[in-house]
Amino acid sequence: MRGLLRAELRKTASTGSWWALLVPVVLLTVSINAFGGLFGATVTGLGAGSAVVLLASLAYTLGLTSVLAMVHGVVVVTSEFRHRTITTTYLTAPGRDRVLVAKILTAGAIGTGYAAAAVVFGLGVGLAVQGGGALPAPGPLLGVTATGIVVCWLWSVFGVALGMLVTSQVGALVLALVYVLAGENVLALVLNSAEPAVGSTGPPLLARLTAYLPVNAGDIALYDVPARELAGPRLSGVVIEGLAGVTAPPTGWVSLVVLATWVTAAVAAAWLVGARRDIT
Amino acid sequence: MEPSGRITADALSKRFGSVTAVEGLSFTVEPGTVTGFLGPNGSGKTTTLRMLLGLVTPTSGEARIDGLRFAELPHPAGAVGGVLEAQGFHPARTARAHLRVHAAAIGVPDERVEEVLALVGLAGDARRPVGGFSLGMRQRLALATALLGDPRALVLDEPGNGLDPEGVAWLRSFLRGFARDGRSVLVSSHLLAEVDQTADHVVVLRDGRCVYQGGLDRLRASNRPRVLVRCASPVELAEQLARGGLLEIDTLPDGRLAVAADAVRVGDAALAAGVAIYGMVEERLDLEQLYFQLTADQGVGPR
Repeated sequence: MRGLLRAELRKTASTGSWWALLVPVVLLTVSINAFGGLFGATVTGLGAGSAVVLLASLAYTLGLTSVLAMVHGVVVVTSEFRHRTITTTYLTAPGRDRVLVAKILTAGAIGTGYAAAAVVFGLGVGLAVQGGGALPAPGPLLGVTATGIVVCWLWSVFGVALGMLVTSQVGALVLALVYVLAGENVLALVLNSAEPAVGSTGPPLLARLTAYLPVNAGDIALYDVPARELAGPRLSGVVIEGLAGVTAPPTGWVSLVVLATWVTAAVAAAWLVGARRDIT
Repeated sequence: MEPSGRITADALSKRFGSVTAVEGLSFTVEPGTVTGFLGPNGSGKTTTLRMLLGLVTPTSGEARIDGLRFAELPHPAGAVGGVLEAQGFHPARTARAHLRVHAAAIGVPDERVEEVLALVGLAGDARRPVGGFSLGMRQRLALATALLGDPRALVLDEPGNGLDPEGVAWLRSFLRGFARDGRSVLVSSHLLAEVDQTADHVVVLRDGRCVYQGGLDRLRASNRPRVLVRCASPVELAEQLARGGLLEIDTLPDGRLAVAADAVRVGDAALAAGVAIYGMVEERLDLEQLYFQLTADQGVGPR
């Protein structure tokens, strides 16, 4: 297993995809947090609110970073099929399941690195632009950072699983990006427009489902801390409903578990399909 | 039992949807021998090799190396090396980087990379990205990759493609030497000439089925000469030959007799029967023609 991990790290290091995706991570981080910092400084006048804007910018950045982490996961796997290197990879590995595990761990590490880079650059740029604004309290800052790292890790793993399922690089990327960037929003819109059942109080069941879709679950987890800082624990749900376009969101850690469940299902499917696939 | 590198196919069959690629194929590659795996393109060679290497799951039957299915091998790269296609490289990776990836996966030290690079004659190109390699260089790199784990068996799919004559000669002597070490080699080709001088045994495939397996000598010996005779009375000549104990006589569509004997015997029989001979041709198929006869489409309907 250690040998396979080393092999995967060498594969990653000997091609450019990891830093080709690090570039947009940094660019997005810098532009979003520069805007966030500027916005915080002008609107809140460097008061306590600017720290919240900083946290929210970070959370938004980490959400986009997780998309790039997923893209990296997809590319890592599908490039093996595209260049037909999967044949040799399987010939030199004691078991396809171990190849999948090694890829999950390696791509996951890269995704975690993207999240760390986003936090470091985002915080630095945000504070620099604000010019002397308050640093967020360590608790909330750590909360957003840790959540971001977990969310990016999970999306990296999801990317690996999706790549293993679809194998076509273009196919997997188009499928993933269309769903993440548009498909789930449309789905949420449809679910949210459901009529409440006659005689029942509260939001309809279909609308509640929006919070349990994978992209929304990750966003809810990320926005949980900034929303609490902004509106307090009682009203944070309302803020998240607005930000993520969901109805009646659960708490952050429940959302993490929801996302982890989706990812686990994807990995299980990839494991089953990958083990049986004919490499012709 | 000591692992030996023995490769066995036991009633292997593979269907892709409604297409049968391989049907009931059984053969053994013994340690210390080179087995040629012959057949025209599309006859199921690649599918069979990929079943042996665990890349394609057989519909029925079993493929084993060292008595184990590929997935059960504890150290697959030490049991068998596969040279399957010259396309399995990331174009941006250098030859050395490619080999180091797989050296790590196999668990052999990086010095082994330099050894195999030198062995296949790529030491001078180790730092070049594989994207710029010729087909022949890719074949060499594929072989180097297969040799990383110092395997007991080698499975090669059309390794001669893209090699220059010098490369083909080198590969031939390399495979002979590999087998002389007591290891086994299974090498596919659609050309008999490519394995003629290398293989101890051949397995000939046609439409996914085995049409011949055994030594090339036996294949040669199975070919007896025929004499094609144009004569005044084929019936009388045939009767005379039959009286002499020669019963393998065919009548060709053009009226000639095809007799499984030499020209002297046929001439003597004709003289004894008083049948005038207008023409006589001795026919002997070379190995290539025999192979072609084995693998050629036999047309429609019974003959």
